Amino acid sequence: MTDHVKDGLDALDEGPRPSDAIAPGPSAPEANRNEHPSVAALFERFGRSVVHHEVVSGGQHVVHVEPGRNVEILTWLRDDPEHRFDLLADVTAVDLGGGAPIQVVYQLFSIPHRRALRVKCLLPLDALEVDSVVPLWNTANWLEREVYDLFGVTFRNHPDLRRILMPHDYAEGHPLRKDFPLRGRFSRAEQTRRALAQDVDRFYIPAERAVGREPQEVFFPESPEADADEATRDET
Amino acid sequence: MGVKGDLPGGGTSARSGGLLGTGGPTFLTTKLDFVVNWGRRNSLWPMPFGTACCAIEMMASAASNYDISRFGMERMSFSPRQADVLICAGRVPYKLAPVLRRIWDQMPQPKWCISMGACASSGGVFDVYSMVQGIDTIVPVDVYIPGCPPRPEALIYGLMMIQEKIRQESLSHHFELRDEDPLSVARPRATAEEIVGLTGPFGNSTQQDEIAGGVGVTGPAEPTDDPTP
Repeated sequence: MTDHVKDGLDALDEGPRPSDAIAPGPSAPEANRNEHPSVAALFERFGRSVVHHEVVSGGQHVVHVEPGRNVEILTWLRDDPEHRFDLLADVTAVDLGGGAPIQVVYQLFSIPHRRALRVKCLLPLDALEVDSVVPLWNTANWLEREVYDLFGVTFRNHPDLRRILMPHDYAEGHPLRKDFPLRGRFSRAEQTRRALAQDVDRFYIPAERAVGREPQEVFFPESPEADADEATRDET
Repeated sequence: MGVKGDLPGGGTSARSGGLLGTGGPTFLTTKLDFVVNWGRRNSLWPMPFGTACCAIEMMASAASNYDISRFGMERMSFSPRQADVLICAGRVPYKLAPVLRRIWDQMPQPKWCISMGACASSGGVFDVYSMVQGIDTIVPVDVYIPGCPPRPEALIYGLMMIQEKIRQESLSHHFELRDEDPLSVARPRATAEEIVGLTGPFGNSTQQDEIAGGVGVTGPAEPTDDPTP
């Protein structure tokens, strides 16, 4: 086992710490910002809120922005006629482990200008919160739910922030985090018992697949009143 | 009272003793077994529960090159109510486990189950947090088909083994073979000790498990918020 791998495993063993202990330096050197017109304009307009710019994978421009201003910056990127990043291709996240901040990644594409841009927000592990971009791109709804489900990043002002891939009553944490054990936190017997105890009828109702049907107060009602509401809604 | 009450395995005669004896094989019961089993084994309707690449091979088995209709699997029954054999083809995540269990519970007796492929039989390479480690912890399995995925010949061989199993059944064992506890619905098929014993870490998971301090095997098994009453 090489030292590099061993260090990585040791870091896994210890689990994450708040990122103030380490300086998570940018992985690639600062690139020439004039290669990409949107990046140059971003630096010009937002100045110090654009923390870093790099080029990866032979031409993919990545900018790191301040997490507190992500909606402001993304709104400008979407609406400015010079840039028009009207397609949000993906929202995802990266956990590098060892206490490094979790990166929330927005993959943008501008159909009018044929231009791609990747925007990252670095969130320290003790403050995993960022504003939702659902008001800008509706497709972010499920993508942000996925990031919340698997990484535990909370998106403020998200209309329906709950788990999407894991069962709704999953109690073992957020599986794609580096400190998550591969086989889960519970024993296999407990996992099997919990899986079979799921309420299938409630979980796979047709409304689960319906978008824009005021879902959040219909799903998983806790009280009999909420059950009655659901029944009347189905009748109408 | 018609013939039904006198047949072994039907009505009450298997317990109280009817015209045909109290459950031991006789000339009449063996001939009746032969006829009934001949009918059952040549009209097995599969319930396809295909979740992954094994389902592609299952479809290939049903298509004209291999054509399991030749063996009496004339019709893929997409309703569990009209199915005889459940073919679980592919990996089953924990989120899908109650669905598989419900489909099995909905199938009428007599019924059989095939676990097709490595993932359904043991979890396969997916020794991870989200995957059922063998569907025999969820439903009783009659035949395991190894392979990743198995070829259609392997599936057909598995189905023929089910047919062989049916051929050896006897109506005098009806109550033992068809015993099903209604209270076990939506409960794990295996006990907790069996599940933990059968699903130890292997390969890469062993190292991962050591790193995690073994919590995946022995760790905090009991959650604080118990969803079941």
